[in-house]
Amino acid sequence: MLLRRSRSVSSLQTNVVRPLFSSSSEPQTTLPSSSLGSACPVEDSSTTGSSSCSPGILNSPHGSCRKSALQKSLFLASAHDFAKNSCWGSPSTLSSVAWRTHDFGGLRLLGTQAAVEASTSDGLTVDRILSNQWPILDENESDWKSHATAISQSINLIKRRLQWKKLLVRLQLLSAQLEKPDIWDDPAHAGRISREQGSLMSKMKQVVAFERELLEHIDMIKLAREENDSDLELDSLNALLRMRRISKEKELEALLAGEQDSCSCYIEVQAGAGGTESMDWAAMVMQMYRLWAQGRGYGITVVDEMLGDVAGIKRATIKVDGEYAFGYAKSEVGVHRLVRISPFDSNKRRHTSFAAVAVIPITGDGSTHVQINESDLRIDRFRAGGAGGQHVNTTESAVRIVHIPTGITVTCQNERSQHQNKASAMAVLQSRLDQLEKARQTQMNMEHTQSLTDNSWGNQIRSYVMHPYRMVKDLRTNFEVSNPDSVLNGDIDGFIMSYLSASVDKDGDSQ
Amino acid sequence: MEELNSHGTRQMKVRLTGFGGLSTFIRPPLHRLKSTPCALSSSVLFSSSSPPASQSHQVPLFLRVPKYATPVSDLQKWYSWASDLAASVGSTFLVSDNGPDSSLLCRELRWLLEDALQEDIDPSLIHQVGVNSAQREVNLKTGIEDLYKLWIQRIEERRPFQYIVGCEHWRDLVLCVQEGVLIPRPETEIIIDLVADVISSNRGLKEGFWADLGTGSGAIAIGTARALGGCGNVIATDLSPVAVKVASFNVQRYGLQGVVEVREGSWFEPLKDVQGKLAGLVSNPPYIPSENIPGLQAEVGRHEPKLALDGGVDGMDHLLHLCQGAASMLRTGGFFALETNGEKQSKLILDYMEKEHRGTFYNAKAVPDFAGVLRFVTAFRV
Repeated sequence: MLLRRSRSVSSLQTNVVRPLFSSSSEPQTTLPSSSLGSACPVEDSSTTGSSSCSPGILNSPHGSCRKSALQKSLFLASAHDFAKNSCWGSPSTLSSVAWRTHDFGGLRLLGTQAAVEASTSDGLTVDRILSNQWPILDENESDWKSHATAISQSINLIKRRLQWKKLLVRLQLLSAQLEKPDIWDDPAHAGRISREQGSLMSKMKQVVAFERELLEHIDMIKLAREENDSDLELDSLNALLRMRRISKEKELEALLAGEQDSCSCYIEVQAGAGGTESMDWAAMVMQMYRLWAQGRGYGITVVDEMLGDVAGIKRATIKVDGEYAFGYAKSEVGVHRLVRISPFDSNKRRHTSFAAVAVIPITGDGSTHVQINESDLRIDRFRAGGAGGQHVNTTESAVRIVHIPTGITVTCQNERSQHQNKASAMAVLQSRLDQLEKARQTQMNMEHTQSLTDNSWGNQIRSYVMHPYRMVKDLRTNFEVSNPDSVLNGDIDGFIMSYLSASVDKDGDSQ
Repeated sequence: MEELNSHGTRQMKVRLTGFGGLSTFIRPPLHRLKSTPCALSSSVLFSSSSPPASQSHQVPLFLRVPKYATPVSDLQKWYSWASDLAASVGSTFLVSDNGPDSSLLCRELRWLLEDALQEDIDPSLIHQVGVNSAQREVNLKTGIEDLYKLWIQRIEERRPFQYIVGCEHWRDLVLCVQEGVLIPRPETEIIIDLVADVISSNRGLKEGFWADLGTGSGAIAIGTARALGGCGNVIATDLSPVAVKVASFNVQRYGLQGVVEVREGSWFEPLKDVQGKLAGLVSNPPYIPSENIPGLQAEVGRHEPKLALDGGVDGMDHLLHLCQGAASMLRTGGFFALETNGEKQSKLILDYMEKEHRGTFYNAKAVPDFAGVLRFVTAFRV
């Protein structure tokens, strides 16, 4: 059992996979496949446990595992079982190289294996647990059925969010492609396929492992009862409780299963028509994101900022650094509408203003890295006037870069030297081109279901009303909050989560 | 103490009356100055922004020790006062002499705050409201009174921002600058790109001596040395002893003492030992025509050294001298790049090389800056 767990972790393709359920950026330890046959389970478990500080299967209850004879026998039994009937037990599947080169039969099995439901020794599965309709009691009630039901519900939700069936089909499709002998003739293409395959594989395995862990603990409890081992029973019950708590986090994280979700990003806000009032609104929106990002512990850098003449901003770009920044912030793309009595209107009339928000992932992993050709660029000094050179002392060294083939224009003026402004603008340009390329690939690849038009610039997504009543309402999810101030102070997670679950769960249901 | 107090306060009042309309913004800090006795030590009032002693360079704000504990609320008050002051400028400077407008000044204010705060503090605290953050203390690298004075100097006297903070961000460098040393311009950054291009296609030029004449803060010399990447040597010359000190300090800060040698003297005078041996010669000499000096933007005309700006009647005096010198100083295949006042001067230099030094240079051309002005002349020695 322990062996199985460590395998599922160690067999991740660590070079390309961002662990779905891990908030840690530490690289995972890959165990050599040969260590599996003889591995000491306790050692394995500690290795995997220390390879990530995130909760979840990696910090399984086995850190405190008692090595009772009972457990040992159970371990041996399940390890044997495991090796006998599944490709999980085939050591060669644990090396990504082996996957690519010869063990493709095993790989295909792996997909099927995930589709076959895991069960306890007496045939209990996640679905059966749910169909029992055991009541879900408070966490503090030491009732394994209640824990198991809660965890099973989470597993079902996570599977729906990951579009489980679609994921398995896609995984098989990709694995089949990787089997083709000529796949590496186009290394860039093969790299993409292999990365996506690795990423889906790790997601699939983590869910499967979570599911198995649940069932194993149930087995353990039943066994403990038969043996009258109350210590073990308590241990396993606590393990279930821990899983139950972790499963809520996993539900949330499953919302961010997109390939680029874990990336940092740029957030751009642009004021709509309407002069000072809408520039002030744009500044408020930007401030909302800054406070939100701050609250999440993300790093914030202002890349570009064009101040309004009287107040606010004409537009601004910030860089938000941190895990899943893009995954969350992408929900904010669109037009945000404000209705209020304008402080800039001496007649105290009600105004409606708009601010457009764009979010660009900073992929940086080279998956969609567009090569920029120097000769395609036109770089000018932005807002340069007069004779320049020694005549002028200015701290303004803004640079505008136009990418001629696409017409994408980027400016950066917030760095303190022209060189840095140029570097910073180039980074934004790179990300925009990458995003464009990604969109192109997505359109070509009908397997991807997320449509860009849902998120495109120009769609009004949210209304912030200050007058005559006070409410913020998301027009996509109808999620609403009656306190605009808290929202403008960065409390937007409710909107983000409801949008993410709505869009992901809707897709999942439609399968 | 009492004397200092009234003196300091009076001094500021006098200045303020000279700048109409600002007194309303100044009132809160003056009030604060009077009512906060602990803030009135002489070191706070007279140390950091006083003119530099001639013996040593001035330590830029960002390099000073953050030893001035200041309540965040005081800092917020200063910041909002300074923002209002900046906003009151509107576009008046822009209209009068192409000086900075409010938005530029506001950005400078943010940078001033960045430089003044101890490194691990997030400058956004300035916008945080709430009792907890306001009562907190942060360490500043200068007293809050000094910040008031510095910002008044910026707005009222048009003292360049770079002299206020004592540094200029240039390329990927942060160079210390002070009165008496020209503040390196963004345009000049391109000279380093030109050098980098040349040595990447002509690796032989990496070896040997390069010279930056009239180095000022040492910007081009340091940029060139870093572009050479450990090969070669750079000799930086300047007539001004202040510039020599500042450039030496900057060279030291980037650990280039073994690579860049700073020599005091006029143009080629300190370079007799490397005559005919130079692999490269780069310079941003004074090129503003004398008649344009009085009409310069206040930050430049009132504060930057004339020695580094005034290029004689048509601004060509030093440029031609450098061209002439390049002919004898450069080795065969040696590269040179000069910054000029723009198209007119660049063409004059190209003509001069063609007529007076026929057959001495090849591949001579004018190169534009990012604003599209033909700002540089580059050529190779035959």
